[in-house]
Amino acid sequence: MAEPMAQPGPEILCDAVAKEFGHGPARVEAVSPLSLRFAAGRMTALVGPSGCGKSTVLRMVAGLEAPSAGLILLGEERPEEMQRKGALAMAFQDASLLPWRSVTGNVALARKLARLPADPEGVAEMIARVGLAGFERARPAELSGGMRQRVAIARCLVTAPRVLLLDEPFGAVDELTRARLNAELPPLWRARATTCLLVTHSVREAVALADRVVVFSSRPARVVGDIAIPEAARTDSAQRLALMDKVSAALSQGWDESGADTRLAAQ
Amino acid sequence: MTAPAAFARHGAAALGLLLAWHLAAQALAGSHMLAGPLDVAVYLATHHALMGRALIVTLENAAWGFLAGNLAAVGLALIVALMPRTRVVVAAVALVVFCLPLVATGPVLRVLYGPGPGPQITLAALAVYYTSFIPLLVGLRAAPASWFDLIRLYGRGAWTAFVQIRVMAALPYLMAGLQIAAPAAFLGAMVGEFTGADRGMGVLSIRAMRGLDVEATWTIALVAATVAMLAYGAIGALAARLSPARPDILLATAPAPAKGNPMLRGLGLAMLTALVVLALWWALMEAFALSRFFAKRPDDIWRYLISAPTAAANRATLWAASVETLRLVVPGYLAGLGAGAGLAMALVLVPWIAGAVLPLAVALRSVPIVTTAPLIVLALGRDTLGTITIVAVMTFFPALVACIQGLRQAPGQALDVMRIYATGRLTQLWHAQIPAMLPAFFAAARLSVPAAILAVTVAEWLATGRGLGALMAMTASTSNYNMLWSAIVVVAVGSALGYALVAWLERAVMARVAPEQLRG
Repeated sequence: MAEPMAQPGPEILCDAVAKEFGHGPARVEAVSPLSLRFAAGRMTALVGPSGCGKSTVLRMVAGLEAPSAGLILLGEERPEEMQRKGALAMAFQDASLLPWRSVTGNVALARKLARLPADPEGVAEMIARVGLAGFERARPAELSGGMRQRVAIARCLVTAPRVLLLDEPFGAVDELTRARLNAELPPLWRARATTCLLVTHSVREAVALADRVVVFSSRPARVVGDIAIPEAARTDSAQRLALMDKVSAALSQGWDESGADTRLAAQ
Repeated sequence: MTAPAAFARHGAAALGLLLAWHLAAQALAGSHMLAGPLDVAVYLATHHALMGRALIVTLENAAWGFLAGNLAAVGLALIVALMPRTRVVVAAVALVVFCLPLVATGPVLRVLYGPGPGPQITLAALAVYYTSFIPLLVGLRAAPASWFDLIRLYGRGAWTAFVQIRVMAALPYLMAGLQIAAPAAFLGAMVGEFTGADRGMGVLSIRAMRGLDVEATWTIALVAATVAMLAYGAIGALAARLSPARPDILLATAPAPAKGNPMLRGLGLAMLTALVVLALWWALMEAFALSRFFAKRPDDIWRYLISAPTAAANRATLWAASVETLRLVVPGYLAGLGAGAGLAMALVLVPWIAGAVLPLAVALRSVPIVTTAPLIVLALGRDTLGTITIVAVMTFFPALVACIQGLRQAPGQALDVMRIYATGRLTQLWHAQIPAMLPAFFAAARLSVPAAILAVTVAEWLATGRGLGALMAMTASTSNYNMLWSAIVVVAVGSALGYALVAWLERAVMARVAPEQLRG
């Protein structure tokens, strides 16, 4: 396992970052100028109504979308430089596994793309860690949606990235497995001091996993809440519930027309 | 169903078919239409050495043509993948070349190559490259954006994306193309042999038909059909091994997203395509310094049809032949498409029959037209009805297969929603299944245009002695190369226009029922 060699994650800076799509009458303002800092080696959850632009923020940090204005730095570096160093990893909403590769092949591909030496043992261990031991040779088509998302998470972690971007990675994972992954995975990125951004619909998950929850309004995304989650809340369920209420309240406040689904998700 | 039970059922079905065939042959004995299974067996037993030699020759030519045509398809697809802006023009030029009538290019190639297997191999290559190129084009674009995000996320470029994603994503599409190409190569090689080869299945076929030898005609047709189906099945099995995760492949090109005025764009594309084709034509003739006597240049045809004193008479001859051909090809084409789509819809109402018919239809689709044409001529005569039927058969099977596959694309949950409200089968068909079928139907309708024209010209040449097919055959044998090349131009342009007309209809219909299909 490459854990001892993993470098700690950098601070992420978004300075007046904005994003527009399209031109003229079809122009859509996805993110209005946004300035945020995400602490090095911590996990920040981004919550907000569907289509509010939180995934766009994640894609800009990943260097997959260029901001229309503003600057994004990961430590001292632009996202593109981090890409070239193989220091980024991202889990997409739809898992995005290559259908012609086995579970092992998909996970190992990330190390190849990141120009890291092949590490069959590390790959196998990571597959076991997401609970898929015994499925190494299965193709994505033979797995359930939740299992595919777990493969995608293993693919993210196998390169020991400095920055980990998770776009609703547990959406299709069943409740029990989700609880287990929520318990097992955070120690991994905490030990590596990976800087994590988690986009999620689930207030419960945001509070359970993150050190801080940033609440966005509906589109164009503005910050309507910024709630620190103290270490104590992980063991104190009363405090956790109070924080969940606080996040939900911020969500309702930033709720224009499209907030119905966030209310449901908060339950 | 267990494997032995399935085997028993298929065995019983095959026996029943044989018996029906035998009885039909008994009933029609003396009418020179149908040779029974016993006649075919006797013919095979007495002529197996001859048939075997002919089959090996044709298979060898078909294999070389298959290889060359598919390499050309891969090359064209790579050009388009590397330079996406060329896509529309490359596809249009490839279509025009595919529309060249084999009946006329055969004799021209025979003169160019002289004796030997050259024309057979070239015609086989011409018969396959387009049906491999089109699915490859779709396949090279058939990867979701997030797969490319994954590549970029690790700072890797277009080459990695090409190797890791595009090639692998295109592989099942290539296999689907190859599967259709295998019987088509056999067809091309046989047509090539019609043009004056001394050995091969095509030669035997012509001889049997000219001599009204019913046993030989049926035996050759059955042997050719069996070979074509075996090739189709073998490539299918190979594809299943190579790419187990096969997407549903409908061979439909995603129509380009419309920017600006579609009429103007269409006109611009047509002019650009014409320019490229003319330049290619002229350059090819000059590059090989081919004699102007048989290798006509664009300006020869211009003189022959426009500026020469006899131009009006030449045009009149060509026009009369074209009208005769159109009268046969249009009803046949529409009847074949209509019957294919209609039967597919009827079968969907009785799903268990559809399951049984689909493999049969897929198999029959792979039977080359040159083997069925003589049978239909034997049965229906050398007249209008026989020719229309040949065209209809040619378009029927692709339409049937595409429509059954398309009808299955209807989202299961949408059908479940309808079932919850106890909606009738016809309502489900109308609201969910027919809209889902249309993309596949139109893909089949487009590709059937050149196929129908090939069928009609082959039938006119071999059987009726009228229309463009006969005109091309006659001018080829009398060395009237001006008229032959003019007919080639008319057929190629007519086929391409017919294809464009169907594509235009497709856009108009899809814009109403499935606008998401039109997004690029």
